[in-house]
Order: sequence, then C-alpha cells, then structure tokens
Amino acid sequence: MNGGPDKRTGVLSGIRVLDFSWKTVGPWAPRLLTHYGAEVIHVERADGWDSHRYNATPHIMSDDAQPVDLPGARQTHIDPQFNTLGEEKAVDGKEQQVLYAAPYFNTLHHGKLAISLNTKSPEGLQLVDQLIGKCDALVENFSGGVLASWGLTWEKMKEINPRLVYMSTTGFGHTGDWKGYRSFGPTAAAQSGLSLASGLPGKPPAGWGFSYLDVMGGWMGGLALVQGLLQAKKTGKGARIDYSVTEGAMSMLGTYLLDYQVNGRPTRRPGFPPGNRAVFPALAPHNTYRCAGRDRVGQDWWVFIACETQAQFEALCGVMEQPALALDPQFATNEARVAHQDVLDDIIGRWTRPRRRYAIMRLCQEAGVIAASVQSAEDRVEYDPQLQHRQMYPVIEHPELGAVPNEGYPVKMSRTPAFVHARAPTYGEHNQYVYGELLGMTDEEIHSLRERGVI
Amino acid sequence: MAGVYDGLTVVELADRRNQWAGKMLSDGGARVIQIEPVAGSPGRWCGPFVDDEPDPDRCIDYWWYNTGKESLAIDISRPVSGPLIRDLLSQADVFLDSALPGTLTEFGLDYPSLKSNKALIHVSLTDFGQDGPWRDYAMNDHAHLALGGQMSSSGYSDPKETPIGGQGRHAWHMGCAFVLHGITVALFDRESSGAGQYVDVSIHDACALGTEAAVPQWMYYGSTMYRHTGMHANPKRLPPLQLPTADGKYIIAVMQNFGTRVWNYLLAWMDEKGVSGELHDPIFQDEAYRMSEYRTGSVIRDAVARLIAASDGEECFHRAQENGISWGLVHAAEENYDVAHYQQRDYWREIEHPEIGRAIPYPRGPFDCDALGIEPRGRAPQLGENTDSILTQDLGLSAESISALRDSGAVR
Repeated sequence: MNGGPDKRTGVLSGIRVLDFSWKTVGPWAPRLLTHYGAEVIHVERADGWDSHRYNATPHIMSDDAQPVDLPGARQTHIDPQFNTLGEEKAVDGKEQQVLYAAPYFNTLHHGKLAISLNTKSPEGLQLVDQLIGKCDALVENFSGGVLASWGLTWEKMKEINPRLVYMSTTGFGHTGDWKGYRSFGPTAAAQSGLSLASGLPGKPPAGWGFSYLDVMGGWMGGLALVQGLLQAKKTGKGARIDYSVTEGAMSMLGTYLLDYQVNGRPTRRPGFPPGNRAVFPALAPHNTYRCAGRDRVGQDWWVFIACETQAQFEALCGVMEQPALALDPQFATNEARVAHQDVLDDIIGRWTRPRRRYAIMRLCQEAGVIAASVQSAEDRVEYDPQLQHRQMYPVIEHPELGAVPNEGYPVKMSRTPAFVHARAPTYGEHNQYVYGELLGMTDEEIHSLRERGVI
Repeated sequence: MAGVYDGLTVVELADRRNQWAGKMLSDGGARVIQIEPVAGSPGRWCGPFVDDEPDPDRCIDYWWYNTGKESLAIDISRPVSGPLIRDLLSQADVFLDSALPGTLTEFGLDYPSLKSNKALIHVSLTDFGQDGPWRDYAMNDHAHLALGGQMSSSGYSDPKETPIGGQGRHAWHMGCAFVLHGITVALFDRESSGAGQYVDVSIHDACALGTEAAVPQWMYYGSTMYRHTGMHANPKRLPPLQLPTADGKYIIAVMQNFGTRVWNYLLAWMDEKGVSGELHDPIFQDEAYRMSEYRTGSVIRDAVARLIAASDGEECFHRAQENGISWGLVHAAEENYDVAHYQQRDYWREIEHPEIGRAIPYPRGPFDCDALGIEPRGRAPQLGENTDSILTQDLGLSAESISALRDSGAVR
C-alpha cells in the first residue's frame, strides 16, 4: 500500500476527495491536497485508463515493455504530443499501448489512492453515489455535460451530500455558447490571450511550452478546492465551483485588458510581445544572451541578465571589465539604454558567448546584478543547489520502480508542514480498501463486481 | 456578496511579487490593508499609466493587482512607525510580505516579534525562500522563468533561437498561487486549532514545480525537452501544430483524434475547401491506420495544415469545436471583450474609476461560484487614501498625532 490510506497526517487529514480527474490540469488540483494529508481517491474507469498511464516502461525498470491485457479495455488513440517517449508495440498490425507506472502519471497522482470503476454500468454509478456520501469533495475535469450524462447533476450530488464541495475544471465553463467546447492547456492559452503574449516581435507566438495552463490551471483548481473546503468548514454548506481555465488565464491578463480599455493599446500590435525584453517598465539590459555550450539535444545554452537600477548597470560594466560603457552617452541612463538596446544586447552577447552560463550567473550575482541561467529539468534536478537545499525532490519507494525521486511541495508551513506522503498508486490498488472498508462490501461482493466488469 | 475570506483583516507589505495574492484575498472579501512607502508601492511606478504619463495614482498595472485594497502610506524604517505597524498586526489575521529575507527583523516585523498575536498567519513570498545558498540573489520575474525552467520549455523549434519567457509576471503569479494555498490551508487549520503560523513560500520552488512533464521525463528517462514553436516542449522533435490561417492568425491544432465522427467531418470540410488530397483512399477508413499515419507520416498532417490555411481563424475554431475537435485560436486578450460567451457567463465587472471619470470592465476572476464570491470589490486605492482612517479608527491616533506624523514625513 502506498503509505496506507489511514495513516495520513496534516491539516487536511480526515478530508476525503473523490477524484475523477484525468490528463494534467485536473489531477494537479487534488494532488495538492494530498500534501496536506487529504485522502484522495483517484477513480480510473474500468473500461479505459487515464492516458498518462500509457507511456512505455521507464528504462530504469525494463527495456522490454509488454502491453497489459485487461478484460474490457477499450483501445484508444492518443495524440503523440502527449505520449511522450514510449513507442507503441505493433501486435497483429495494430498499435497496443502499454500500461505502466509512467512518469507523468506518477507525478500527478502521488499520494493518492486508486480504484477502478465502470461508470457506464448502472451498478458502477450506484457505487459513485455511495462514495459521494463518504467524501467531502468531488473533482472532475471532463468536458461539460459528462457527469450529467451519468445522471449525476449538482442537485443530485447535493441531495446525497449537502456538505459536498464539487469542483469542475473545464476549458470554457458549464454555461454560455461554448460550454460544450473542448480544451487542453494550449487551447485555453491560445483563446485567453496568453499565447500571444509570449514570443519574439514579428515571429509566430512562442506560447507556453511547459504547458502553463495545464500546470497553473491545476494549481488554481486546487486553490478553489481548498477554498471550498474552508467555506464548507465555516458554514456547513457545500459548493459548486465552475472553474473555466480560460477565464482563469484571462484573470491573470488584467493589465493588458485594462490598458486596452484605458489607453486603447491592444496586445496585438507591432513589437509586442518583445521577446525577453521588458516593456512596463522599459528596462535595458533585460534579455537572454547566448553562452558557451549547448544541451543534450543541441539547443544552445543561455543566460538571462537584467539591470533594474543604474548601480546594477554600472556593476555589470565592471563584471564585463568594460567600465567605459557606463560613460558612453548611449548607455548613460536607463532611457538611453532602452533606446540603444540592440547595440547594448550585442555587446553583452559578445561577452557571454564564450563564457559558461553558471560562471556568468555567479559573477553577476556577486556584483548584485540580476542574472539567471536558463535551466533545464536536468539542471534543476541535478545541479541546482537551492532546490537541493529546499529538498524539492524527495525520494519515495515504489513497488515497480524502486526508490524514485518525486517533485516536492513549495509551501513550508511552520506548524502544520506539508510534504509528499506517498508514491502514486498502481492501477486499482485500493479497490479492497475503498469498496471493502469504506463501503462495507464483503470479499464475495467485491469479487462479483470484478467478475462483471463493474470494477 | 459573501466571500470565502469575509471577516479577515490582511496586512500586506507592498511589493510587486505578492500583490496578486493580496488582490485575491481582497476579491474574496478580506479587508486588505496595503502598507506602502510614502513614495508609493513599486507597483505604482512600473506602468502602463493612463495616457502614458507617470503618476502613482494612474498606474494601470497597480489598478489591476490591488482591487478593493486600502492604502496606508507609512515609512516602516522610521522608529516611530514600528509600534504602529505592530499594533495593526496585533489585530490582523494575515500578514503578507515579500521583504528580502532577514530584513524585517530590524523593524520588529519578523515572525518571532509578532507571535504575541497567536492567531496570526504570516506568509513571506520571496525569490528563494528564507534559506539556502541562493537566498540573497537578485531576481525579477523573467529571471525566475529562466532559472525555474519555464524558458527552457518555451520558444521556437529552431535550436539557435532564444528560449522565451512569456510576458505578464507569471513567475510571480505561480508564487502567489502557493501563497494562497498556504493561507487558505492555514485558515482551515485555524478554524479548529485557533492558532496561526509562519508560511515560507519560494518563487523559485514554485516555478521549479511548474514545468509539467519536463522533470519526470528527466528523472525517469534522462530526456531533455526540445522547444517547439507555440506548443508543448517534448523529448521528441515534433511537426508543427501551431498553424497559420487564411486571415493571418494561428490555430493550435492540439490533441488531434481521428474517431469516425471527427474524421468524416474533417474530410467533408477538406472537400469543401478542395484540400483533401489522397485522404479518400480506403486505407484511411481504418482509425488505427489514421492514427499511425498521423504519428509517423505527413499525409494527414499536411492536409490539416492545408485545411487551416484555407479557412479563417474563427471559422476553424468554431467548426472544429462544434465537431468535437479541441483546436484553439490564438486570440489577443482584448479580443475577449467581444466574445458573447464570456458575457453570457457574466464574466466582466464594471469598476468605477473617478481618476478617469468612468467605469472599466474588469475580469471577474477564475471561478464562477457564489459560495466563494471571488471578484473585484472596488478600485485600487490612491496612494495614502486610507492613511487617516486607519490611523484614527484602527490605531486610535488623534488628528494632532497624525498631523505630526505627516509633517515629519513618516506617513502620507
């Protein structure tokens, strides 16, 4: 068992969440609650699993991944953009996908319990009703209308459990013309205006490749969930939260929206976005500069350097051993530097080009100048002394993988610490606990459900 | 309107990093008192300004991030100020600061000095947290996007092109998201324990957590992500998904599936535009083949690109979405004002601005939920707008004392 469902400590110990989330943005929200000790029951459909489980076996486990054959499993086809590394196996000329402890699933679901459940069967839906009665919150990120198609309306949920907090994450919300529209992080980033705010002038939008709204969208969903639980604790009443990721993104773009309203200045304008330069306030230097070396896939290494004060610029001139720059009228003030930033960027770029990125960062920082290496995941996990000091990658035992590092949690609380409670669950790992202990079923009843494909 | 943070008093030490968290608390019903330097928060001086004329009361960025707050303009470095601020904090529920680590001690505003208010939740949002070898490094939002990994995954497919950090202070937003988590969870605990606590949030830690699959890909496979123009970073080189439309916009053709319904619709649409090419070959009737060809070949991809190039952006978005295809159109933020969908969802809130003599429509906020009640409660304060009322009503100072403080330059 992954730590045991009943051994959790933390502020949210005793809070139970029924988690129908899948993909990325949905699972993040309840995962954040696991750090505080909530018991999150992740429901995977017995007829088709979360596609993040499909990635092939990690090299550290086996080089020979085998497809898993589960009765009733539905063949699905997944955009390769998300099926990140594994190659599918061809069996009888058809692709087979591999069900294993895949990296991103493990990250998004660590600390959760997992059950399987066939929501297409009336008996399965009865189990959902029973579970709602045992939970404080229900989370899902299906497209609008899916839960209602199961007969699970908010009115019905409220009737079963008046204290229930129901948090739904969708691309566009449950009302309005676009309520049936589908969205993934990049869809919402595009529609909201975020994608257009990232890129070099005159080039296509660069977007947010991490992908921002799959991550931040989940964090906001997690916020809504803890807010709902706080409100339920204070008032004794549940809540329905209709969280549209696109509206969440627009609520981080207020400055641009208001600038348009007040000054008539659109974000769709020549020169915007300005790459890594700064507009409000305009500052120079404020850019990325190419360094010596490149990463494992041939992308150059870069360092970001910025000066927000005159003292920082003068210090940078010293670091570059070019004190005369500070005396050049082209660069004497921030205003002058902004006017001549192409020339200035060229000078700084020539200085950084033959140098190592961390050496540049250290020299600049020692002189009080803003400088940061553009760090990859490898850089952060392996070499970043700050993240190591803050213990951001705790190691957890996994039955299939052995001891593997996990992403930690960035909130350090003095009295009620948050931490990584456990690894991610394997498929259906907690059926016995949930159906047996929580719902009080006998082994025979559970066996029968399994035989009939309900779980 | 009832709000999730009703009844709380928050004291926020003005800083550009933490102000979105303070705004969300204010939008959720808390009384948020922002303590500003007498020259104004740095957030008042960054622009954009009304008519591009610098004025601390007419900074649009400040307006957005400080809705509904009160402004107490006081110089915290003056010995006379310390007891006043500590008095205010003795009555507060939450203290939100972004001061450089260690620097609040000299003003008696560090957590140990404030602990007599046992219910106080003190949250510090700083660049690197309160400890660690990089604790005192100088940073800004873009520097965090570099160091935290966001830039490494964003930019262009050309390996020679610079990584890009998007505009709009999103490293700070990410830090604030966790500030809000910490505060809300601490409030949840305080409901039963009655006790507050100290919460230390690092923007770098938050950003480092926010790169989606990049970290697990490295940990499990040793993969390095390629940047891809307008789309997810990935350990494989992938063909473009951000595709130009006939009217000069871009569609992000994400998460393509080719089930029967979708395929038949796409094919009919391609026929209409005369771009279906060889897709009527019977071999494409097999979904598994379609998916396989899409993964490894270029026939379907090229046809999709031709279809998008032959259609306008809005046409692409709506026709795709109405048929179960999750494409998105790259909109400009301001273009959302004209979208009926958001109006139908009651997304805009008119906030009066006497500074310009009219109201402006603000975004409601991320959640449609009456029980949480999170939306702007009013405009941002003018510099020192509430100084007198706070000193009088909260701290019991006489008019003479306030006048003396103002004459000495300690308050504005």
